[in-house]
Amino acid sequence: MSGAALERVFREASGRIVGALAARYRDLALAEDVFAEACARALEDWSAKGVPTDPAAWLYQVAARAALDGLRRRRTHTRLESQLSAQFDAQSADVCDDAVIPDERLRLIFICCHPAVGVDARAALTLRLVCGLSTLEIARAFLVSETTMAQRLTRAKAKIADAGVPFELPAAQFWPERLDAVLTSVEIAYGKAHEDAAASGPHAHFAAEMLELTSTLVQLMPAEAEPAAVAAMVRLAEARRPARIDSSGLMVPLSEQDPQRWQRPLIDEAIGYLSRAAALGPDTVRVIQAKIHAAWCSRHTLESPPPWPQVMSLYDALLIRRDDPVVRLNRLVVVAEVHGVESALSELESLDGELLRDFAPYHAVRADLLRRAGRIRDARRAYDEALLRIASDAERRWLTRQRSLVEVPES
Amino acid sequence: MQYALLIYEDETLYGPGKKGPAIQAIVSRHMAFNRELGAKRVGGSGLAATSSATTIQTKGAKHTVHDGPFAEAKEQLGGFYLIEAKDLDEAIAIAKRVPLLQDGSIEIRPVLGPG
Repeated sequence: MSGAALERVFREASGRIVGALAARYRDLALAEDVFAEACARALEDWSAKGVPTDPAAWLYQVAARAALDGLRRRRTHTRLESQLSAQFDAQSADVCDDAVIPDERLRLIFICCHPAVGVDARAALTLRLVCGLSTLEIARAFLVSETTMAQRLTRAKAKIADAGVPFELPAAQFWPERLDAVLTSVEIAYGKAHEDAAASGPHAHFAAEMLELTSTLVQLMPAEAEPAAVAAMVRLAEARRPARIDSSGLMVPLSEQDPQRWQRPLIDEAIGYLSRAAALGPDTVRVIQAKIHAAWCSRHTLESPPPWPQVMSLYDALLIRRDDPVVRLNRLVVVAEVHGVESALSELESLDGELLRDFAPYHAVRADLLRRAGRIRDARRAYDEALLRIASDAERRWLTRQRSLVEVPES
Repeated sequence: MQYALLIYEDETLYGPGKKGPAIQAIVSRHMAFNRELGAKRVGGSGLAATSSATTIQTKGAKHTVHDGPFAEAKEQLGGFYLIEAKDLDEAIAIAKRVPLLQDGSIEIRPVLGPG
């Protein structure tokens, strides 16, 4: 097995094994350390003796032994140790036979996304422990240095241990409140991948992890609508990736993307998740957001008209449930198409510009509307504001081209 | 695990020197809450107004004594509970039930164990 293949085995086994060990020994750092130790031993052992039939079971068993050794070395855990030791002896036999790794990933996700963990650390910790991404990979995704990310992860794990964050799965009545933190983490994590339209950055496989994680969440919580809505949203956004930039690396706006370049299998999968979410209860914010994506993805060719009217009514429904400046801004793009540029502009002026000042899309939308309204000089200034704040290369190049449309030769 | 629940409220709501009529009302609610907590309550007390606070600052082995609380803020530490809870979630559930006159914050701090 090649190095890359081994890495894949490790990564896929990571969430299940770290989750099971963390649940058993109630110690995230220990679970993570012994899993790393097991992977290191696997590299030596497997190259000499070949890859075992069930690599995950092998890793679990070795890691669990290492955990027990670690606990033995810590005098303070003597009582816990003797309990666990008895448990372990009873369990180790069947672990040898096949992969009896209890699936504790849901528990692990709930621990990582506990509201007592800092918002900026929840998604990172989930990616580290549940998806098995390296600290360096996560650091790149969040645009911080590896040291900063390592500190953030260490601090989060210490907080979980010191504050007494429970390792039990919360009772079902607390799920809705906690699930929101989990799904927000997934959205933040996917957002990082989505910002990079060209997928040229370090996020390419990161998006794949989010597809995997959302399908896991749906599997684990089949009766909840929200995970299915997020699973749909992530797939619909990801399906459009091949059409998001043109051959010269320029961003292509959604309404100008060629639907034939979208990934149909992903869209079909998403529609399955979305109808499941819609059937489970009244439309929530996330379900409506997914429906907006779905409306776009129902377009099959560039020749068929863009679904503006349908998207408009979905945005109106969304605004009733979540009235915030970002929703209003996105809605304005649709207003311009359905009710005209002038009414979009007048609504834009009523938005709190102060609140959105550092939000690049605000300036990009404003610039586009001003350009279309013929207010060339204002548009140019707005493009400059947008260009100051934009992070992705494809978008920057697109904005630069748009700006060139309002450049008038000095007379 | 033991947790300290630190209660932060705008003490001006309780009148000058925390001697207004609201104090009686909140004290009886705290007494009822104490009974509710039973053995889960390890200790705790209300604190007199910050106007009665004295702060000793130590810098390089030199002590300075001055009038007033450690930090001036909109909400002040007005009392605390010491509770026994099985984990943070139980502590959060208890903290949500701590009586407050209006708005306020409860900071949950694990108590250092014997190590």
